[in-house]
Amino acid sequence: MRRGMVIDLEKCIGCRSCAVACKQHNAQPAGSWWNRVVTPGSDRHLTASAPENLYFLPIHCQHCQNAPCVKVCPVGATYQTDDGTVLIDFERCIGCRYCMAACPYGVRQFNWESSKDGIKRYEYQNGYTYGYPEPFRLDNRLVYSPVRIKGIVEKCHFCAHYQARGLDPACVRACPGKARHVGDLDDPDSRVSQMIRQMNGFTLLPEKGTRPNVYYLPPKRKEV
Amino acid sequence: MGVSKKVSLTVFSLIMAAGALMWLIQLWRGLILTDMNNAYSWGLYVSALAFFVGNAAGGLVLSSMIYLFGVTALKPFARIGALCAFANVAAAMLIVLSDLGRPFRVLNLLLHPQIMSPLVWDVIVLNLYAGLSLIYLYLLMLPDLAARTGFLNKIALPVPDPAGFSDRWAKRLAPFSLVAAVSIHVVTAWIFATQGARGWWHTAVMAPDFVAAALASGTAVVMLVAVLCYGTADKFQNAFRIMAIFIATSFFIHLFLMYNDFVIHAWYGSDHAKEALAITLQEYGLAHAFEVLAPLAGVVLLLNARVRQTMSGIMAGCLLIIAGIFVHRILLMPAAFNQMPLTLAPLGSQHTLWSVPIASGRYVPPADTFVSHHSYFPTLVEIMIFAGVLSFVCALILVAVHKLPVVKEG
Repeated sequence: MRRGMVIDLEKCIGCRSCAVACKQHNAQPAGSWWNRVVTPGSDRHLTASAPENLYFLPIHCQHCQNAPCVKVCPVGATYQTDDGTVLIDFERCIGCRYCMAACPYGVRQFNWESSKDGIKRYEYQNGYTYGYPEPFRLDNRLVYSPVRIKGIVEKCHFCAHYQARGLDPACVRACPGKARHVGDLDDPDSRVSQMIRQMNGFTLLPEKGTRPNVYYLPPKRKEV
Repeated sequence: MGVSKKVSLTVFSLIMAAGALMWLIQLWRGLILTDMNNAYSWGLYVSALAFFVGNAAGGLVLSSMIYLFGVTALKPFARIGALCAFANVAAAMLIVLSDLGRPFRVLNLLLHPQIMSPLVWDVIVLNLYAGLSLIYLYLLMLPDLAARTGFLNKIALPVPDPAGFSDRWAKRLAPFSLVAAVSIHVVTAWIFATQGARGWWHTAVMAPDFVAAALASGTAVVMLVAVLCYGTADKFQNAFRIMAIFIATSFFIHLFLMYNDFVIHAWYGSDHAKEALAITLQEYGLAHAFEVLAPLAGVVLLLNARVRQTMSGIMAGCLLIIAGIFVHRILLMPAAFNQMPLTLAPLGSQHTLWSVPIASGRYVPPADTFVSHHSYFPTLVEIMIFAGVLSFVCALILVAVHKLPVVKEG
């Protein structure tokens, strides 16, 4: 079993629902985004350098098989599970940020301050809270906690807490365009494997040799 | 202790106290007090790690030159060398503590070391080197320790012939110290050079270049302390001449390795390489000019026999070299972090290179949420913590020279 994701750029409408769902479900602190959707070529947000260029690219942890972040971590806080998911043990990370220097995809987020200070900075109305309310442990390692520890690195955990309850990740369930699919990449007959084969699935930065478990399907045409 | 030494020690202590206070505040509030963000995640602290590691080179290289290659003219400076090595490698480990988000978890390095990580290798060799330079310092001081009274006499090994024992064991340890001295630079360079994500670092030339730059700045540190302790008497002129030639040779090798890398990348002209070079040579053009011209001026000064007869001449030369290498270490970061690793040619426009911005991780209302460029400049907190550690090096050397038989009288 190798858990992977396929994102169909033909179906992506650039609504950023996945980024929002991810941020809310995972109680991400101020300024942290595990999931971002970019418009390649744009200066800002949705605009494109030329109208014929307009398409959208969601980017989060690529759950690489040859993951540089796992190899650089001096204490094994970042590790790979049996199904290839790259997780961070919140209780072991020493906050050296070596993994952030190592990651070519820029998906790792550091907690520069405490969650409380960050929320204060956001000036949310009193009592507004969001996020999966329970801490989640996998093999007794804390891989999710609604209250964040200051000074550690975090990133997409493939919604390990939902997976344990048989649910797909929040971004997959929240996608209005049905652009996201998860499945077993080791199984050649799985839906995701077939999609990659039939629709020219590609990965980001193949030249870096990271072998991501997140694949993209190219858009047939773009928004104009 | 003279008045000027007392004043210096007081100043160093005050700066150390201020640095410690800043570190406590940073512990309490978090690394938000630095100017780093998610896209630019290493700054002054990690540059300073490389700087201090480099400065630590001189000591044991000096010792091994004396005991392996028979350059006996340097013998009076051997103890100073070992002391400088220890002080700087201790500083390297201190400054990296301030870079950690959770410094109290540093014990995890012992409990769960992950042997694939170059950072673990670095922790191992830095500690080995610190231990080795302490042992070396002790061995070299042994003949004088035995002659002293009180505490120093008590810690002296009771051997029949302390001078012979010291010489014998210094010679036996010399090959190991040379290997250790080279390995701290190589392994520190590997922390960066192994990272395929960062084109600026991912070059085979980085480890040899680290060694060359370290031999220049590390020897300059020893020379600086030596001239402050011993002055410029005629009997030391030959030692200063040898050190000046060694510094000059190392610095020119460093220049060669650096520009060799630049030429190869500039010639092929990939967009990534051009971007990294533009950051260093244009955006940070002044800093680059300084990292080359300051040590060059220092080398010109030190190579002049008349300059070497003046205290101020040697000090100026050494300080220019050390400052230049410091700026070289600072320049490790901008071209690594301001060139986004994830760049792509948007589908349909294959000739553009577009950098994918990264969430800054710091919520600041007027600033962009996603950034692809950050003009990093260390905050007062970062500068004070660095100044505190630098003062620690100076104070440690000053106190040790005063209390221990580091400088031979007469």
